[in-house]
Amino acid sequence: MFDPLRDILLGYGNTGLTVWVLLKILAIAVPVIITVAMFVYWERKVIGWMHARMGPNQIGPLGLLQAFADVFKLLFKEVLRPDAANKTMFFLAPLIALVPALAAWAVVPFDAGVVLSNLNVGLLFLLAMTSMGVYGIILAGWASNSRYAMLGAMRAAAQTVSYEIAMGFALVSVLILSGSLNLSEIVLAQKGSKGLLDWFWLPLLPMFVIYFVSGVAETNRAPFDVAEGESEIVAGFHVEYSGSAFAIFFLAEYANMILIAFLASVLFLGGWLSPFPESWGFLGAPGWWWTFAKAFFFSFFYLWFRASFPRYRYDQIMRLGWKVFIPITIVWVAVAACMKYFGWVTIGA
Amino acid sequence: MTFELVCFYVFAAVAAAAALAVISVRNPVVAALSLVLTFFSMACVWLLADAEFLAVALVLVYVGAVMVLFLFVVMMLDIELVPLRETASRFLPIGVAVAAVMLVEMLMLIGVRSLKVEPIADPAATAGLSNIEWLARSLFTDYLLPFEVAALILTVGLIAAVPLTLRHRVGVKKQNPSRQVQVRREDRLRIIKMAAETKQGESP
Amino acid sequence: MISEYFPVLLFLAVAAVIGIALLVLGNVLGPKKAVAEKLAPYECGFEAFEDARMRFDVRYYLVAILFILFDLEVAFLIPWAVVFEDVGLPALVAMGIFLLILTVGFIYEWKKGALEWE
Repeated sequence: MFDPLRDILLGYGNTGLTVWVLLKILAIAVPVIITVAMFVYWERKVIGWMHARMGPNQIGPLGLLQAFADVFKLLFKEVLRPDAANKTMFFLAPLIALVPALAAWAVVPFDAGVVLSNLNVGLLFLLAMTSMGVYGIILAGWASNSRYAMLGAMRAAAQTVSYEIAMGFALVSVLILSGSLNLSEIVLAQKGSKGLLDWFWLPLLPMFVIYFVSGVAETNRAPFDVAEGESEIVAGFHVEYSGSAFAIFFLAEYANMILIAFLASVLFLGGWLSPFPESWGFLGAPGWWWTFAKAFFFSFFYLWFRASFPRYRYDQIMRLGWKVFIPITIVWVAVAACMKYFGWVTIGA
Repeated sequence: MTFELVCFYVFAAVAAAAALAVISVRNPVVAALSLVLTFFSMACVWLLADAEFLAVALVLVYVGAVMVLFLFVVMMLDIELVPLRETASRFLPIGVAVAAVMLVEMLMLIGVRSLKVEPIADPAATAGLSNIEWLARSLFTDYLLPFEVAALILTVGLIAAVPLTLRHRVGVKKQNPSRQVQVRREDRLRIIKMAAETKQGESP
Repeated sequence: MISEYFPVLLFLAVAAVIGIALLVLGNVLGPKKAVAEKLAPYECGFEAFEDARMRFDVRYYLVAILFILFDLEVAFLIPWAVVFEDVGLPALVAMGIFLLILTVGFIYEWKKGALEWE
C-alpha cells in the first residue's frame, strides 16, 4: 500500500531514506501517544463500571473526547519551577523518562516483517531501555528537592530494580527456548500445528506470570504503586511536577504499560500468530490484529488489577520480588534449559 | 567521509566531553550523570565496531545497574563540597603521581602492541557468526574456567555486601506472611462447652 | 547490521523532540502566575524543616548492590542461552555450576536476612 511512496522517497538517496524512516517512526509514536490518551479514558470507564459508576460520559459521545480534554487541560496548566529545585535537572528528568519509553517501541514487531528495526539483539535492546527508565524517576525525585518526591523516588527506584531481575530471568527463559534474540524470530519459534498450545506461555507458565506481574511492578502500577502512594507520600517522585512536565511522566508511564502488554503477547503468546488451526479460514490466519488483540487483553489486566487489589505494603513488595520471584525464575531457567536440551518442547513449525 | 565515520566522531567527542565533565563539574550528581552519558556514548562507539553484545551489555550493566548505585550513594551521602575540596588538594600529589604512572604504562602498552601486532580481522566475521554467537562460543568452550571464576567472584560480592551494608533494626514489629497463611483454626479459636443459661429462680 | 540501528538512533532523537516540544508548549500555553507559596516544596501545610536531601537507609544500597550482581548474572546467561544447544553438554554443566555457586550466595543472603525489608 505504501510501496509507491517508499520508492519515490528512496529515489532521493539518503535524505529520502531518512524521511521514510522518520515517517515510519511517526507512524509508531503518534498512535502510541493517541493510544495512551484513549487508554486513560478506557481505564476510567472500566474502573467506573467495576465500581458500578458511569465513568466519563459528558464530553463528546460516550465521553470519548474526555481523553483529549485531559490533554489540553494539562497543556494549558502552569508549569511550575519550584524554588528549591535544580532547574536543569528538574526538566531533564521527564525527558529521560520519556525517551527510553518511546524508543523501546522501535523493535516491537506488529506483524510478520512489520517492525521498524529488526535488530538481531532486540531483546537485549529492550532490557537496556527498560533499565534506563529508572533514571527519570531518581532524577525527578532528587531535582525536585522535596521530601515526598525524594521518598517516592527512592521507593520507586529500589522497587524497579528489584523486579528488573525477575524480568531479566524471564526474558532469558524465552531466549533459551527460542534460541534467538530477535523478536520476530521469537514469534516464529512459537509457530506450530497445535495453535495456542505451541506458544511459550505453556512451557514457561511461571515465567509468563512473573513477567507480567513484574511488568506491573516495574511500571509502578497498582497494586504495587507505593511509589505514588497518595495516602502517605501524596504523589511520590512527581509531586512537584505540573502541567505538561507532569504530562510527560504520565505519557512515559502509560507508554511503558502498553509496551509491556505488547511484549507479553509477542514473547509468550505468539505475537501475530492465530490461536486457531489454519483450516478455520480468516480466524486461523495470522495477522497484526492478533498482536493487537492480545496486547489489548493484557492492558486490560492492568485496569482489572487496579480495580480489584488493595495496595501492597512496601516490605511485601520487596519480599515478593526477592524471595518469591527470583528463586522461582532461577529454578525455571534451569528447567527451561533442560526442556530445550532434552527436546521436551517443539520449537518452530 | 562516510556517515558511519561522522557518527563515530560525534559519539567519541560526546564521550570525551562527558568524561571531562565527570572530573570538572562541581555538583557530584551532575558528575555521575555525565559518567552515564560517557558510558552510553562509548556503547554507541562499540556498536559502530560491530560489538553488539558488548555495547548493549555496557548499557545494561553499567548504565542500568552500576550507575544507579553510584547515584544512590552520591545523592544520599550529603557530600559537603568545601571540606572535600580541602582534602582533595592534600591528596593531589599522590593522585597526579598515580595518573602519571598509569599514563606512562598505557603509552608503553600501546607502543609495544603497535610494534608487533597487526590490526586483526574481526574473528566473528571470519567465522561467519554474529558477534554475540562468536563471543558466547569462545566463552563456553575456551574460557570455561574464567567463567566459573566469575561466578565465584560474584558470590564473594554477594557475601561481602552483607557485612558492609546490613544493619538489623531492633524492635521492628511485622508479620510473617508464610506463617499467616499456615494458620489453622485451632490456633486462633477455642470452642468451649458452657452450660445453657437459665432464668433466675429456676433450677438448672 | 549497523543500518538496523539507524532507525533506533532516529527514534531516540524523535522521542527527545516530542518531549522537548511538550515542555515548550506547556511553558508557552500555560499561565505564569508563580508566587512564593506556590513555588515552595510541597509539605502538609507547614514550612519545610530542612533540606529534603536527607540520608537514606543503608538498605537501599544493599538492594542496589544485589541488583548489580544479579544483573551481571543475567548478562552472563544471555550469551549462554544463545549458544548452549550448539555447544552441548559442557555448556549445560558449566551453567549448572555457575548457577549453583550463585545460589549458595543467594541462600547466604537469605539466611542472613539481607532480603528482609524491615
